[in-house]
Amino acid sequence: MTTEQLAVSRALAFRYLVASTAILGAAGSLGILLRDSQANVGRVDPGWWYALMTAHGLGTFVGWAAFALMGLSYWVLAHAGFPLRRLGRRLAVATWWLMVLGVAGVVVTCLAFKFGGSWVFLYPIAFHGAGQWGRWTAFFFSFSVLLVGLSIVTWCVSILHTVLGPALHAVSPRLWTRLGVALGLGYVAPKRFATNPRPTPYPVIPLTVIAVDMIIATLPLALLLVEMMVQALSPGVHVDPLLAKNVLWFFGHPVVYLLLFPTVAIYYTLVPRFAGRDLVAGNVIAIGWAIAVAANVLVWAHHIYIDYPSGSPQAALNVSEEPLTYAVTIVSALSLYSLFFTMYRSKFNWNAASTALYLGLASWLLAGFSGLVNATIAFDQVVHNTLWIVGHFHQMALLGIGLGIIGATYAWLPELVDRPLYSETLARWHVWLTFVFATFNTAIWMYQGLLGGPRRYAVLPHRYDTAGQLAVPISIILGAAQLLFAWNIVQTLRGRQLAERGAGSPRAILVGTAALLGAAIGGWAAIGTTGGSHAASPAPPVPAANAAGKHVFLTAGCSACHTLKAAGSTGTVGPNLDAKKPPEQLVVRFVTNGKKAMPPYKGRLTPAQIRQVAAYVSQSTR
Amino acid sequence: MITTAVVIAVAFTAICALGIAFAVFVGHSTRRGGDVDLERLRNTERSWFVVAVVILVAILVATIAFTPYGRSAGRDAQIVHVQAFQFAWLMPSTPIRANRQVEFVLTSKDVNHSFAVYTMSGKLLFEVQVMPGKTQRYVYTFRSAGTYQVLCLEYCGLGHSDMRTQFTVSA
Repeated sequence: MTTEQLAVSRALAFRYLVASTAILGAAGSLGILLRDSQANVGRVDPGWWYALMTAHGLGTFVGWAAFALMGLSYWVLAHAGFPLRRLGRRLAVATWWLMVLGVAGVVVTCLAFKFGGSWVFLYPIAFHGAGQWGRWTAFFFSFSVLLVGLSIVTWCVSILHTVLGPALHAVSPRLWTRLGVALGLGYVAPKRFATNPRPTPYPVIPLTVIAVDMIIATLPLALLLVEMMVQALSPGVHVDPLLAKNVLWFFGHPVVYLLLFPTVAIYYTLVPRFAGRDLVAGNVIAIGWAIAVAANVLVWAHHIYIDYPSGSPQAALNVSEEPLTYAVTIVSALSLYSLFFTMYRSKFNWNAASTALYLGLASWLLAGFSGLVNATIAFDQVVHNTLWIVGHFHQMALLGIGLGIIGATYAWLPELVDRPLYSETLARWHVWLTFVFATFNTAIWMYQGLLGGPRRYAVLPHRYDTAGQLAVPISIILGAAQLLFAWNIVQTLRGRQLAERGAGSPRAILVGTAALLGAAIGGWAAIGTTGGSHAASPAPPVPAANAAGKHVFLTAGCSACHTLKAAGSTGTVGPNLDAKKPPEQLVVRFVTNGKKAMPPYKGRLTPAQIRQVAAYVSQSTR
Repeated sequence: MITTAVVIAVAFTAICALGIAFAVFVGHSTRRGGDVDLERLRNTERSWFVVAVVILVAILVATIAFTPYGRSAGRDAQIVHVQAFQFAWLMPSTPIRANRQVEFVLTSKDVNHSFAVYTMSGKLLFEVQVMPGKTQRYVYTFRSAGTYQVLCLEYCGLGHSDMRTQFTVSA
């Protein structure tokens, strides 16, 4: 590659890295807020909680991890000798702008218009905002996500355009054969997919796989998003919810690999460099990738194992997904083998970057085990939609993938900006603190999940408070550790260098991390578990005549949306009944016919039940 | 914790311990350095491929029978219609009998919900999705009388975490 070509890839990788790290700062902080609120520390109102959850999910997953990896991929390709040509370069710039605009749109719809449909916006929830958001917000949200989707497609095309170019050294001029070469099939069928003079570099294979798959996976989602925009404008239009769910996960599964596979390309590039030897990979790894390119777009339904409506073929589909999901893990099993044995007994150069990659590999291995639990229907049925899942994907995304990004940043930022890293010591502290505290945080979620703790709950049942409160100091330290990352990057960009004083020795880090962990657990044991804040004051006694009304109030869903002190309910979706003190007749009318977000209960409750609940509400607020 | 969750907890902890031991072993091996037959390691990957496939097939065979799909209710099953909507469950107040099959027939008025039944002490007994425009059936037999709690496990909007109800199972 010429110096000029290198400069192009370098500038692109750098601008992606800067933008995505800024998004991590914003969207990651929301995560701490959410976690602490769930543990009853700094309680956020549920309406806001779900809006922040949506912004956090899309922001960190796509705006940080995917975005950073898209940029780092250009640098991986540069290292493999693949320059971006003119079209690839233009698409790379377009990708950046589409992503920035899309993520900005998502953030605005969530934070300014309180869209809280969650990052999977399970159709048709965008059109059921319960009074918090309306169809224009749904329109704007769908449009923003569509921009993100387009950004993914333009990125894929830029990658394919680059890997299929002359740098591939494929003998055949035919497009399909060249694609096979880029997918690594030359390792399996060297004659048919011949290269001259060198074989396909390993890091090119996962990038080609994901570029092919994400085009296939994103187009149906784009159609669904367009449908949602049309539906926002003319509410009569709609689509089958089961179909929509399949379309969503047809995208939602591969988009996880939009994070994982470029991270694998980073591991394939950097681990051999630090080990001082080539990747220990035989031909069989190419078979793993060949399975992955097909299986990746065929395993979506393992996300909806618990959906199998009567009369639909979904149950049969779900069953067939279990072996396919296992098949897609083969490539991880082989890659982990190759990467660990590339390290094995090598003269491994241990520094902050390589430590991050090593810990990232270990986390990928552990998250793979919990993934196998999720992939198995018999197990999934007890962990589905529990906090176990939240633990699983944070371990994978924040550590298995995030430490790959962090390692790549420490390894490559100096060459991207042509300045030395500000501080190796700070970087080591950051890497170890992130690994230890994020792993601990993950373990708490998984434990709560196995106890049946539900995910996506603004307010968890109190039985999960004790474990949740331990996550408060843990998540705060985890967040604070990221300040070391930000400071290191900023100072590196300013051309500063910190005089190292041995504070980054393994012993210092071990003692420091253990002390922080001890303080977090000790603090929690001392003050966190008293649980006094939620010991509800006993509700006033209810006259017998009102007991029936109270029963209706608590079981028909009234308490979900309304605050009523007498019933101990704290819902904030609808008006506070203690403040409104509604007369009985008004309650009868609203409950019977509904109002705004409130559904009509005519036909759901008997007229007698409605009278009972109305009497109860008006009498207990008098 | 229900039995399946205990199985997961034990198996997962054990395999994680093995995984960590392996990672530590590899990390530690870099201190010794030395000559390694890389060609042999490369060839061993093929054996690992076979081992991985065998392990996965074994898990598949061992667990597939516990899939909850396709259970059908017997003729004397108690039919319980459940309607879900933002943010409540509507269930008939007639008590459910223990030790007799219950067929829950579930529908949703608006968005996706998930009908999750817990014991009062917080054990998650089962969950099943409820979709708008579809009917979902789930067959279950309660073994003991008492009160059970229903939570929604599929995110359904602002009142999601308060969407709960209770029902009674009599002996």
